[in-house]
Amino acid sequence: MSERWFPDEMPVPGVNAETNGWWEAASRHRLVVQRCTACGATRHPPGPICPQCRSTASEWLDLRGTGTVFTFTVVRQAFIPSLAEQLPYVVIAVELDGAEGARIVSNLIDIEPCDVSIGMHVEVVWEDMGPQLAVPRFRATTDAKGARG
Amino acid sequence: MSKGRGDGRRAVIVGVATSDYPRLPEMSEHAVHGQAADRALADAGLTMADVDGFASTGFFPMYATGVAEYLGLHPTYYDETNAGGASFEVLVEHAAYAIECGAAEVVLITYGSIQLSQMGRRLGTGGGGGAGFAPGPAIYDALWGNTLVGSYALAARRHMHQFGTTPEQLASVAVTMRQHAASNPQAQEREPITVQDVVGSRLVADPLHKLDCCVISDGGGACVVTTAERAADLRKAPIYLLGAAHSTTHHMNISAMPDLTVSPAAQCGPLAFARAGVRPADIDVAQLYDSFTITVVLTVEDLGFCKKGEGGAFVENGGLGLGGHLPTNTDGGGLSACHPGMRGMFLIVEAVRQLRGEGGATQVPEAKIAVAHGTGGMLSTGATLILGNEEP
Repeated sequence: MSERWFPDEMPVPGVNAETNGWWEAASRHRLVVQRCTACGATRHPPGPICPQCRSTASEWLDLRGTGTVFTFTVVRQAFIPSLAEQLPYVVIAVELDGAEGARIVSNLIDIEPCDVSIGMHVEVVWEDMGPQLAVPRFRATTDAKGARG
Repeated sequence: MSKGRGDGRRAVIVGVATSDYPRLPEMSEHAVHGQAADRALADAGLTMADVDGFASTGFFPMYATGVAEYLGLHPTYYDETNAGGASFEVLVEHAAYAIECGAAEVVLITYGSIQLSQMGRRLGTGGGGGAGFAPGPAIYDALWGNTLVGSYALAARRHMHQFGTTPEQLASVAVTMRQHAASNPQAQEREPITVQDVVGSRLVADPLHKLDCCVISDGGGACVVTTAERAADLRKAPIYLLGAAHSTTHHMNISAMPDLTVSPAAQCGPLAFARAGVRPADIDVAQLYDSFTITVVLTVEDLGFCKKGEGGAFVENGGLGLGGHLPTNTDGGGLSACHPGMRGMFLIVEAVRQLRGEGGATQVPEAKIAVAHGTGGMLSTGATLILGNEEP
């Protein structure tokens, strides 16, 4: 477990019937994606109805926690004042392996901003923010040239 | 806009105005609405007594009713649809439908903001802040410190990756807007800039630099929509709403955007052109939402002015300038002239001025057909108006 990165002032998720399962899995360091049990389509963020077939039936699909950087930015100006101490930091959209196209936004950590590239392979790293809240972040498993590490 | 509907009532824009801008430390938000409203009605040759419909929007519920009370209006048609930066194009489209079906005679639409004076320079990088921000699904982006400009940066990076778009091509949008702003005495930033100035300015969220981002301003505007029949007795020639459409692809999570290189303009743009019966090649002047330089590149592609992926080449070397393929944001745009948060009203005002020949130093000669396209949220909403100065 890396040192706590998120400051106390970070927004915390408000959970409801649709999102609780995602955060509950995260608290146990399991990365999941919501899958419609009627048509099999995945979706993120979690929601009450399948956008493809309108079914309300869904399940949590366990993922390996690996994926590929779909796009990224390096945030150099923070809007939460206490995040200013963490600048610059890398925000990525990750295509998760096994999630059939579902993407999540997260951070890429332990990397110099100039070494980040689209297509990098990444794996999840969990940061515990409290007894019931853990946040998935990612670390590169390939070097900047794209070779698998 | 209607073709063969009802009794043939046709919606037209008869009055437009901007308020003072870009710095209004002495004015309240409502006062900005009021100033713009008075000016737009005077421009039309109408008074508040003629207004039976009202539309506006802001950042809290029942916003339009609050402004209506301030203006002393008791409208029997009102609308406060909020689509972020695309809101005012949607409000004009709705007003046109209301007028054409007989639900209203004269609709006043106003915008006012004192974002710069009230909030300083916070909103451009995300707004809000502190515990409890980002209720509901927005947490799925905000929790990791993503920002508003960060979301547009994610789209820009993806466009660069897929199509080879360069930071210099993005920068050329800002350079052209600044050239236009130089002719606008009210513009917030008027000093000429070069591509090197843009790519050499501080990175806010890679690959977007400070000069790839809009200014943050105080200001507002207003327009008046009525029937072509009523317009016959008014001060200025009517501007016809030839076609309109709007769309949305996702809410506030850039992670939920189906394709980060395709904005909602790809849906509503072709629909608006089809409804207007015109093609992109018929457009003489464009007013395109420029929250960030990438917004304009995506919009010119999605509206069909060039193919997907060719937006970078389309905008570089003055492509959006007065002598270019598509003279755009002739007032200097949000990148240089004024961006008080939801800039869509400014696009409408400038499009109408161009079609009336009131464009001053940046007038596009003999402009007959204009497009105004707003973009809101995290590339979440789009709304297109096709306007013309000849009866269709």
